Amino acid sequence: MTALLRAEVLKLRTTRGLYGYLIVLVVLTGLGAAGQVSTAHLFERGDPAFQRDMLSQSTVFAALIALLLGILSVTVEWRHGTITRTFLVTPRRWRVLAAKEINGFLLGVGLAILGLVVAIAVIAPVLSHDSASLHVDGAFAARVAEILLAAALWGALGAGVGTLIQHQTGAIVGAIIWVLVVETLLAALLEWAGWKGIADVLPRHALDALAGHEAGLSTAAGGAVGVAYVVVFAALGFLRVRRQDIT
Amino acid sequence: MIEVESLTKRFGATLAVDDLSFSVSPGTVTGFLGPNGAGKSTTLRAILGLVIPDAGRTRVLGKSYAELGHPFQQVGAILETAEAHPGRSGRNHLRVLATAAGVSRARVDDVLELVGMTEAAGRRVKSYSLGMRQRLALAGALLGDPETLVLDEPANGLDPQGIRWLRDFLRMLAGEGRTVLVSSHVLAEVAQTVDHVVIIHKGRLVRQAAMREMEAMAAGAAVVRSPDAARFASLLNEAGIDAQSMGDGELSVAAPTARVGELAAANGVVLHELTAARATLEDVFLELTGDEAQ
Ligand SMILES: Nc1ncnc2c1ncn2[C@@H]1O[C@H](COP(=O)(O)OP(=O)(O)OP(=O)(O)O)[C@@H](O)[C@H]1O
Ligand SMILES: [Mg+2]
Repeated sequence: MTALLRAEVLKLRTTRGLYGYLIVLVVLTGLGAAGQVSTAHLFERGDPAFQRDMLSQSTVFAALIALLLGILSVTVEWRHGTITRTFLVTPRRWRVLAAKEINGFLLGVGLAILGLVVAIAVIAPVLSHDSASLHVDGAFAARVAEILLAAALWGALGAGVGTLIQHQTGAIVGAIIWVLVVETLLAALLEWAGWKGIADVLPRHALDALAGHEAGLSTAAGGAVGVAYVVVFAALGFLRVRRQDIT
Repeated sequence: MIEVESLTKRFGATLAVDDLSFSVSPGTVTGFLGPNGAGKSTTLRAILGLVIPDAGRTRVLGKSYAELGHPFQQVGAILETAEAHPGRSGRNHLRVLATAAGVSRARVDDVLELVGMTEAAGRRVKSYSLGMRQRLALAGALLGDPETLVLDEPANGLDPQGIRWLRDFLRMLAGEGRTVLVSSHVLAEVAQTVDHVVIIHKGRLVRQAAMREMEAMAAGAAVVRSPDAARFASLLNEAGIDAQSMGDGELSVAAPTARVGELAAANGVVLHELTAARATLEDVFLELTGDEAQ
C-alpha cells in the first residue's frame, strides 16, 4: 500500500496542474486573510477566539481545493484512459481506491498546512503592528488540528466523489455547485421548513462545523458526520468500480 | 500460458465475444487476428482482468489475472487506450509505474533505451507522435520484465522502420522463451513473427492453427486446365487432394503446382495450363473471416 501511495503522490507531483492550484490557494488564502484582518476591529483582533475563527475562515480555500484535487486524482485516470494501466499494475481495484482515499486525505492536510501558513503570515504582522500577538495555546492547537482534519476529509471525500462520478467535468462542476450553491439554498429551505437539524448534517455544514466556522453541530459531531460521508462515498465508488468494464 | 475458456461478453445488445476458447502455450508467439470489431480487444481485456466476462473464464499462468502475485512482473500488456497522462513526461510516467509495481528506477532507463526513447523521455507525452506513444506503451509493458506479453495492435502508428523494429523485437522476445499474444487485423503483418494464429470473427473462433498451416493454405493452390479435366479430378481425389471443377476444363486444386505437375506426368494427363493460384495470406484471412464463412 505504501508503494501505491507513493505512486499516487508521484502522479500528483509530475503534472503541472498541482502547481496552478497551489498558486491559486496561496493567492486566495492571502486575500481572504487580509480581508478578515483588515475589516476586524482592533479589540477583536486581540481576542484569541476571534483569531482562531480568522484561521478557520481563511482556510476554506484549502478545503475546497482539497476536494477538487481529490476528485481530479481519480477522474483524470478515466479521462485519459490511464486507469487501464493503473488496474493492470494493481488488479485488486480496492487497493487503488484505498491509495487514492489516503492520498486525498494527506493532500488535504498538506493544503491546509499551506493555507494556515499563508493566513498566519498575513495576520501575524498586522497583529504585531497592533502590539498584539497570536495566542498560541491549547485551544489554538486544537483548532489547527480540526482545520487539518476537515481539509483531509474534504480531500478523501473528493476521491470518493471522483470514483463514483468518474466524468471529470461533471464531478468538478457538480461538486463546486453543490458546495457553493445547492447546499446553501437547501439549508435555507430546510431551516425555513423547520428542519435545521437536517441542514446541519449536510456535508459542507458538518465539515465546516469541524473546522470551526459553522455553528450547527459540535466539532466532534461534525467530524463524525464528515467521516461518515467519506466512508459512504468511498463505498459507493468501490461498488461502482468493483466489476466495471474498463474499455 | 494463457487460457480462454468459453468466454462470452456482451455490451448491451452487442455480443462482443461469443463462447470463445483457445490457449497460448508457453514460449510461443501467437497472432490473435480478426477484422475490426471481431472482439480482439475485448478478449485481451478480459484476459487482463479489465473486462468482466458474462460467462466463461480466462487464466494467465494458471490463475485469473487478479490472483497473480506480481501481475506487472508476470504479464506485460499494451492496450489501445492512452498509456500516459499527456502532461507527464515519458520518464515520469514509467517512474510512476515502477513505484507502484515495486520495480527499480534503474530499470526505467533500461527500457527507455530498449525502445529507443531515451532522448524523448524528458518531454511531455502530449508532444509525442503516435509511434513514440506506442514505444512508450511498449516500454511500460516491458518495465516489469514479464515472461508473458499481451499486445493489442502494437504496430499501430509505427512507421515501416518501426514495424520492422517491432517484428525483430517480438522475435527476440520469443527467442528468449517468452509467451506472446499479439493482436492484429493484418495477417501479413504478424506472419513473419508468429508461430500460431488464433483467428476470430464476430466474437467466435474461426481457426486456431500453426502459421505453417496458414502458409500452406496460401501457397498450396493451383489452377489447372486440361482436356481431360474430369479424369484428372478423380485421380487427384484418389491421391487425397481436393479438386474443384470450374467448368471449361478448368480445375482449382488444393495442392502446390509441383505436386499437381508430377501427378499429371505420372498419369499421362495432358495439361494446357498449370498456374499457382496467387492466394496470399490476406486472401486466406479474408476467406476465413468473410461473412460467408459464418
Ligand atoms: N465499452 C463498450 N461498449 C459497447 N460496445 C463495445 C464496448 N467495447 C467494445 N464494444 C463492441 O464489442 C465489439 C468488439 O469490439 P472489440 O474492440 O473487442 O473489437 P476488436 O476486434 O478489437 O476491433 P478492432 O480491430 O477495431 O480494434 C464491437 O462491436 C464493439 O463495438
Ligand atoms: Mg481492438
